[in-house]
Amino acid sequence: MSNTQPAPVASEHVELKARKVSFDWEETPLHWVPGDPFTTHTINVLHLLLPAGERWFVHVYKQALPHITDDRLREDVIGFIGQEAIHSQAHDDVLPHLRKLGLDPTPYTAQVDWFFEKLLGDRTLPPGRPRRWWLMERVAMIAAIEHYTAFLGNWVLNADELDRVGADPTMLDLLRWHGAEEVEHRSVAFELFMHLDGGYRRRARTWALAFSALVFLWQRGIRFFMENDPSLLDPKASFADFVRRGRKGVLPSTPDMLRSIPRYLSRAYHPSQEGDTAQAMAYLASSPGANGGR
Amino acid sequence: MPRFTTVALAAGAALLVRRAVRSRMTTAPLWPMPALDEPVSGYGRGSTVPRKVLVTGRATPAEGVVELRLEGAGLPAWQPGAHIDLVLPSGLVRQYSLCGDPADTGAYTVATRLIEEEQGGRGGSREVHEQLHDGVEVEIRGPRNRFPLIDSPAYVFVAGGIGVTPVLPMVRAAEAAGAEWRLVYCGRSRATMPYLDEVERLGRDRVTVVAEDESGRPDLGFLGELPDGTVVYCCGPDGLMDAVGAAMPEGRAARFERFSAAATTGGTAFEVELRRSGRTVAVAADQSVLEAVREELPGITYSCRQGFCGTCQQRVLEGEIEHRDELLTDAERGDSMLICVSRCAGKRLVLDL
Repeated sequence: MSNTQPAPVASEHVELKARKVSFDWEETPLHWVPGDPFTTHTINVLHLLLPAGERWFVHVYKQALPHITDDRLREDVIGFIGQEAIHSQAHDDVLPHLRKLGLDPTPYTAQVDWFFEKLLGDRTLPPGRPRRWWLMERVAMIAAIEHYTAFLGNWVLNADELDRVGADPTMLDLLRWHGAEEVEHRSVAFELFMHLDGGYRRRARTWALAFSALVFLWQRGIRFFMENDPSLLDPKASFADFVRRGRKGVLPSTPDMLRSIPRYLSRAYHPSQEGDTAQAMAYLASSPGANGGR
Repeated sequence: MPRFTTVALAAGAALLVRRAVRSRMTTAPLWPMPALDEPVSGYGRGSTVPRKVLVTGRATPAEGVVELRLEGAGLPAWQPGAHIDLVLPSGLVRQYSLCGDPADTGAYTVATRLIEEEQGGRGGSREVHEQLHDGVEVEIRGPRNRFPLIDSPAYVFVAGGIGVTPVLPMVRAAEAAGAEWRLVYCGRSRATMPYLDEVERLGRDRVTVVAEDESGRPDLGFLGELPDGTVVYCCGPDGLMDAVGAAMPEGRAARFERFSAAATTGGTAFEVELRRSGRTVAVAADQSVLEAVREELPGITYSCRQGFCGTCQQRVLEGEIEHRDELLTDAERGDSMLICVSRCAGKRLVLDL
């Protein structure tokens, strides 16, 4: 099988460290993509999912840490944990601002909290194989989700259309700082999965689970925001809206998203083959939020 | 026709299900998932959001002391003894006690004494004195309280110079609660002691002012004969706090507020017991708790090693913690610490590890 082993691109590896950040939401309007509530709320769903989701990543990886036998990977995972912890905090800190603008996210986030803390949380399993099985399932799910976070990170770093339409600079900085760190650490979750398990059937199965969950959570999230937005008279949202904005460039394009599916399922896939670490590092060096945090 | 009936029934059922799901989704957007009883997301620490305040008042309550009024929107409530971090324009971070009125929810008040470089000043107070004028915007963190006023029928307060700042709201609170209290307020000379008038107004017979140029050092002998149940609070120069500590009766401790140099590494050596592992490790003066614990438990989790990511948070079972992180809330600080930066204020900590 050695000829089908996924090959990392060596030049894309960097030492990972958590950056302290600071984002001031005072000036950010409800529709931070001006005049486009659908795009605003589609991206806002990130703030609903990531606080609980990334806390869960940290929780699972803390349990995976003792199983790692490769020192460099261990260092990478430690850096990854810190970055994810800060991502979770930074998105969490957007939620009180949404509440202040009249859009209380709690009905949704309380359910996402249940999803990650209970449904995907630690289960009462006998020690040994069953417990390891559940840990490996979750490690594999995180690898699949990270494929999409890296995809979105790479997209937002290059989404010049958002600048052109005058999106709020603080929100763009949050998204691009986060996106850049996702690109920076995009190989860690996959490498951890390959190191601890690497089974192809598990990879395909957990991909299907993660993908369906993301689609479900995202479309419900968009509907939730649109229906509860106090300034919208017509809260309709459809898949066609999504496709149209993908074409325009303010959201990821649907064909690009479809094309990313077979890539993750390819046996030769390695995350370092996609995205550009140098671009991510360049953004991080100039991000007001990441440097403002000092 | 049976086929027509089947289609009609199926369509009717689908419509009903759609309506049922819709109505449920208005209260539970992710129906059929349940919600967590106590939601976690959206009620975080706000650690990535800067809090900006505006200097809207500047006064000189004593020689070499400036008082700043810092106005802001949505400032958190605070209790006597609390302090804030002031992020100065140069990026220096300094702690100052809140000395205003907790009922004033629109502003915080702090007072700073200028410490010259030859007296060991490190530039923070000079920056406050020279740069923070009316209309300047500064960032603050906190407030936090590591010097809380506990309920008691009787208090003794000992304040030295600018150390009166955390004590002043405490005295006001004790007076308002009708408690028995006494204040010993020391300083170099009356002219350099802020808030003397107010302190004397609060209770002339309860306040002893000891200005060094008039009456020398304070007599703290009375601390040795304090009745049980009288709580002693002290804030001031190290010499004063050492003297108060020494004057206390055997087995009783005063409560101190120390604004030592905010070092992020190093300190004194102490030991840490890992209760669940049944092991004890020594933490050297130039070593973090994390480094010492890792030698025994290599699998322990951590990440940023600077006290902001929260990965290394551990439960503390016994011992007095010296918190040096920027993340935990007061409630979390009660029984946990970030072992990458925080240390022990005494000789021994017991961790749930």
